[in-house]
Amino acid sequence: MSTVTPTQPSTSRASFVPTGSGLSFTGLLRSETIKLWSLRSTYWTYSLVIVAALGFGVLMSFALSATAGLDPATGGPMPMESAQIFVIASTSGLALGQLIVAVLGVLSISGEYSSGMIKSTLTAVPNRLPALWAKVIVLFVFTFLIGLVSVVGAFLAAVPRLGVENITASLFDVDVLLPLLGNVLFLALIAVFAVGIGTIVRSSAGGIATVLGILLLLPTVVALFSMLVEWVNDIVPFLFTVAGSEMVYPNTMESWQAFLVVIAWVAVSLGTAALLLKRRDA
Amino acid sequence: MIQAQSLTKHYGSKTAVDSVDFTVQPGKVTGFLGPNGAGKSTTMRMIVGLDRPSAGSVIVNGKPYHEHKAPLREVGVLLDAKAVHTGRSAYNHLRAMAATHNIPTSRVHEVINLTGLEPVARKRVGGFSLGMGQRLGIAAALLGDPATLILDEPVNGLDPEGVQWVRKLTKQLAAEGRTVLLSSHLMSEMALTADHIIVLGRGRVIADASVSDIIASAAQNTVRVRTPHTAALAALLAQADVTITNVEQDVLEISGLTVNEIGDRAAAAQISLHELSAVSASLEDAYMKLTQNEVEYRTGDSSSHTETEAAR
Repeated sequence: MSTVTPTQPSTSRASFVPTGSGLSFTGLLRSETIKLWSLRSTYWTYSLVIVAALGFGVLMSFALSATAGLDPATGGPMPMESAQIFVIASTSGLALGQLIVAVLGVLSISGEYSSGMIKSTLTAVPNRLPALWAKVIVLFVFTFLIGLVSVVGAFLAAVPRLGVENITASLFDVDVLLPLLGNVLFLALIAVFAVGIGTIVRSSAGGIATVLGILLLLPTVVALFSMLVEWVNDIVPFLFTVAGSEMVYPNTMESWQAFLVVIAWVAVSLGTAALLLKRRDA
Repeated sequence: MIQAQSLTKHYGSKTAVDSVDFTVQPGKVTGFLGPNGAGKSTTMRMIVGLDRPSAGSVIVNGKPYHEHKAPLREVGVLLDAKAVHTGRSAYNHLRAMAATHNIPTSRVHEVINLTGLEPVARKRVGGFSLGMGQRLGIAAALLGDPATLILDEPVNGLDPEGVQWVRKLTKQLAAEGRTVLLSSHLMSEMALTADHIIVLGRGRVIADASVSDIIASAAQNTVRVRTPHTAALAALLAQADVTITNVEQDVLEISGLTVNEIGDRAAAAQISLHELSAVSASLEDAYMKLTQNEVEYRTGDSSSHTETEAAR
């Protein structure tokens, strides 16, 4: 801008040479963080996740304390461990949170397509994939942190009522902490899975329908078919939500096996998304 | 510098860009013209890698766009004003774009000031007028202080003051040795702004020359003559390379002769003239003449469509 402006621009003049910092992955992470936190919907959705967790924490503490003293089968003391009671109270609200972060994950990318923002994003990052990975990492980290705040908050919210019934547990008890972290991890992975679906579908309505279909509808449909066809029962553990729950409460498979199933779902979603993002015209 | 070689784009069976070759030189404002659907926007999208060419290639500042280490510092692009999330403020949009290249926030404030966005910078883009959206798009294009600028219809929706500002800005950027490629439907504006013109028609380059050459080659200068003796004058001037059109009852438009020649011959023949004036061709005339065939060929109905073009 400092050069003198001649009246007749001549072709012999030296070309302008650009200077300054270039594209970097830390820059992309910062950019995606700014993008995430400069939309009101982010505050709404994350607030809802926390409120739902706290609300269910209090509600479940009342419900569980009412039945905790009794075993419905024998009328005697209930065999449930107090650690288990706290885990249930702390994570019940996350079932709702899962649906909320799934929507957030889809919108984080479908919103770019519907508004045209994707053109700005992809001209800044013409190799495209780094932009997707940065979005995935940022959404994973913040969803994990919000999930952590939610379950710890719900744990604390459940303490007063359960304490009345002399049901106590430490947050740092392995039987409490590990299931809580497992639930939070699955929550963050759902958000990431949803980013992949949003990238594949490129539409908010279609993406949300697909993700909620996989989370809510698919287990029901498979359960219905398993009544008709016996072998369908064998695929139930491989459903996204079932595997997510078996990460924490192993039933038909080990925790680590369930974790691998969850990772496979996320990998297929993100892998397909990456392939299409790279290949398609924006 | 932008260099396209046999650049081609098919969408299904439709060919949007058909093996075009052109070079956009630095230090000049190059105008990109053509009827709607001629392939201007598609070409611009291919330059910055949003669309993948079906064949051929295009390089910017020596490399394919995606191979540059700092794409926003090489090319600033305004494709359309709606490349912004409507829920985000102008300031945050620019900040997010700047962050990718570690461009300091001071530069964000600079482009906001430069484009006159201060009053609305903290407001959500969804409520922006077309003109404000356009200014934000230009601010985003300037963010990386790029060597090449690609602006698709930058004055669309701007007020007269904004149009003038874009004209000065693009000329200044070119004078600094940058490459500037801009498209516009405002032919008079293009004539004032551009040094060089590339005209596309149905996906092909139909003209690539300086503004003066385009006007000279495509549209002949004519002379307007008002006289009560049109028939006599027409008979007097008739020769092989002269065309005479009777545009009104007592008005002739003559091409192939100068004002002086017509005046002298009329005086010698004692034909009285009530008006004798040179009508210089405009870029718009030249453009119409160049693209008329393209439009005709496509629609098979020249009259109605040239009228539509002219009405714009």
